[in-house]
Amino acid sequence: MTKPLTIKNLVKKFGGLTATDDISFDLNEGQSTGLIGPNGAGKTTIFSQIMGEYRQTSGKIELYGSEISKLSTPARIRLGVSRTYQVPRPFAEFTVLENVRVGLMPDSIWKMITEGPNVDREIELALSVGFSENDLRRTPDELSMGDLRKLEMARTMATNPSIMLLDEVFAGLTVGEIDQIAKLIQKMRSENMTFLIVSHDLKALEPLVDDAIAINYGKIIAQGSFASVISDKAVRTSYLGT
Amino acid sequence: MLEIIIQGILLSGLYALIAVGFTLIFSVGRVLNLAYGSYIMVAGYIYFYFSQLLGLPPIAGLLLAGILGSCMGLLKYNLIVKPLKGDHIAVEISTLILAVVLQSTVILFFGNSAKILLPIIPGVIHIGNATVTFNVLAATVASWLILIGLYLFIKKTHIGRAMMAVSMDAKGASISGVDIDKINMITWGISGFLGAIAGVFFASYTQLSPTMWVAPLIIAIAIVIVGGIGSIIGTLVVAHIIGFMEIISVALISPQLRGVFTMLLIILVLVIRPKGLFGREEL
Amino acid sequence: MGLGLRWYHFVLWAGFIAIMALMPEFVSKGTLRTIIFANFLAIFAISWDVLSGRTGYISFGHPFLIGIGAYTTAILTKRFDVPVEYAIPTAVIMTMVGGTIMFLPALRIKGSYFALVSLAFMELIYQLVQVIRPDLTGGTRGMSGLVTLTRGAVNGYYLSVTLMIIVALCMWLLMRTRLGTALSAIGMNEESVKGSGLSPTKLKLFAFMTSAFVAGLGGAFYVHYLGSIAPRALFDINFVFTIIVATLIGGASTIVGPMFGAFFLTFLLEYLRPYLPGAERYLIYGIIALLLYMYQPKGLYHIVMTQLDRFKKRADDD
Repeated sequence: MTKPLTIKNLVKKFGGLTATDDISFDLNEGQSTGLIGPNGAGKTTIFSQIMGEYRQTSGKIELYGSEISKLSTPARIRLGVSRTYQVPRPFAEFTVLENVRVGLMPDSIWKMITEGPNVDREIELALSVGFSENDLRRTPDELSMGDLRKLEMARTMATNPSIMLLDEVFAGLTVGEIDQIAKLIQKMRSENMTFLIVSHDLKALEPLVDDAIAINYGKIIAQGSFASVISDKAVRTSYLGT
Repeated sequence: MLEIIIQGILLSGLYALIAVGFTLIFSVGRVLNLAYGSYIMVAGYIYFYFSQLLGLPPIAGLLLAGILGSCMGLLKYNLIVKPLKGDHIAVEISTLILAVVLQSTVILFFGNSAKILLPIIPGVIHIGNATVTFNVLAATVASWLILIGLYLFIKKTHIGRAMMAVSMDAKGASISGVDIDKINMITWGISGFLGAIAGVFFASYTQLSPTMWVAPLIIAIAIVIVGGIGSIIGTLVVAHIIGFMEIISVALISPQLRGVFTMLLIILVLVIRPKGLFGREEL
Repeated sequence: MGLGLRWYHFVLWAGFIAIMALMPEFVSKGTLRTIIFANFLAIFAISWDVLSGRTGYISFGHPFLIGIGAYTTAILTKRFDVPVEYAIPTAVIMTMVGGTIMFLPALRIKGSYFALVSLAFMELIYQLVQVIRPDLTGGTRGMSGLVTLTRGAVNGYYLSVTLMIIVALCMWLLMRTRLGTALSAIGMNEESVKGSGLSPTKLKLFAFMTSAFVAGLGGAFYVHYLGSIAPRALFDINFVFTIIVATLIGGASTIVGPMFGAFFLTFLLEYLRPYLPGAERYLIYGIIALLLYMYQPKGLYHIVMTQLDRFKKRADDD
């Protein structure tokens, strides 16, 4: 069975700075991996390269066995990978529902014209990430940071991915909201969704992942079960400060 | 042949001056000032009014025009760009509307017909078999002096380096303590001054008319697209490329096809190297 | 198609069509001629709105597109004796093809560059038309004595108003589909559109070709209404300005906004004509446009809608 995601010897240099330093790992179908590390370690940069927002300096990225380096971001999303962004970027003048609507759209002009929006599905997605009925017609300027992250999540789910890259989905959420998103992730895991999750909130992260990868200065410093990575000496000194 | 080279150098110097004022705003302020051509037009008329109608010495007229250009720039920035908070689309449209308003204002005061400016410095000089008016020569020399002065200003002074910093990364510059607002104001002031001086020269090179702001704007646009932003040297080089292209096509092909090759060059650059030939290099 | 049409949409459109149909009964021939001009301006404004109003890719070169349509049909009918029924569709196709070829490079680039290039292209075609094959294009003076489709103000009115209503209805409906949503999304955050799995280039190209279609159609019919074509009036920055201001005053991205903006502007111009006969009129409505735009960039449509919303809320609260 081909793996959903394979990264081989990924390197990304910005001028003199090496943000990604020869990283290799892969994800199996239905696997959920946590990506941890200090700020600036290069976690988001990896996401950006997988999604095609940055072109890697060298190295291979394979989605279900095919090299995707030449594909545009929308093309990669159509292949099944999708991400949330640390800084939410919703459509400022659209309501929550309309924001989700864009994510649900097929990349076919004919279909856009002839088929109307699937409002039921829009509502379903919005409610599933924790919005209430009242929120659905709100616009981003009326939403809290936590709500904006939920919107990011809903929009990412709308693209119907089979691999989800979550970048700090828990930041700024209340305990109740974290709980709701966590339940959602668990539900998707049971439906065989593949996850790569970045989070500083290790407590929330632990039950959601099968294993973990720790990154620092663009290199992998530890890899394995969550518990082993957390107790790894290098990880403790560089990240956990213990 | 000599004629072509000389005319080319003269025209390119002027084009460089026109373009740099425009590029500066785009590079530092990140907005499109479509009313840039208006500096050129209004300055031409100011000079005309003071030096030709009122009889002031040309230098005074020139300086007045320059100062007025600066003021226009500052007003534009404070009244239009700042309130719009960097909304590109809004600034583009507002400056276009402003340009048309200014055009109509000028028509109201000076009428619709084109006027010929008397040369700033009368007389001609013969180089080989080419005839060059002192006027145009002075314009080119002045343009070069101003450009060199600007280059030194950017490289050597504190404010100049701050401008460079803002053009590369406004947020980073602001965190480092640069007053973005002040830098923007200074940039708009300089841009207005440059545009105005270029305007007086341009008007004396061609003629004065309320619609004269479109052509230099297009040239500045062409130089920005082909040259890329962020490099004064790049702007200079491209100004010469375009200047020479125009002179050559006028002399060897047809005067009316003047702008065509410039357009083709724009298309070519957009397809092959959208960043421009010198995009994003050190000033 | 998910158009979300409500009863009042039908009522408003029906009412509008009825008023326009009966207009010749109420007004003088002179006013009819003004309305004809407003109809064509509305078509051009709608064409601009489809592209620039939604996606934020401001085109300062719309006369370029209108010009291709106008010149194609003029040359075909006058120089080659092609019947109008064939010349006009050909003109529309030429506008779409010619325009797309020239704009394709610019569409891939950021919005600001697009604006610049469109302005440059308009100047280019102005120069070209005067210089290349003036025997065909009529050079600087243009052409006159072209085939006119109608005679008299009333017939001209009915032709222009029918065309305008068809164009307005079709574009209005089109923009109410998810396509309209996608195009607006591009205007808000193009990166985010990519992140939603949609390819903005395809969408922009479609919007552009639709805009070109309408512009070419309008240009072709306009030329056959006027019976002449003059490059200096066509490729004038004032024309660009008029189209854009009409759209903005009415309310960009709404299709009906530009339509009403066109009428508002045309009648304002006519009203000012006895007082300010020349180009000074542009001064007045340039200032009005600037102030209005800076105060409420979304135009009159938005102002009217917010008032209606407030009215509705108050009615709900009672």
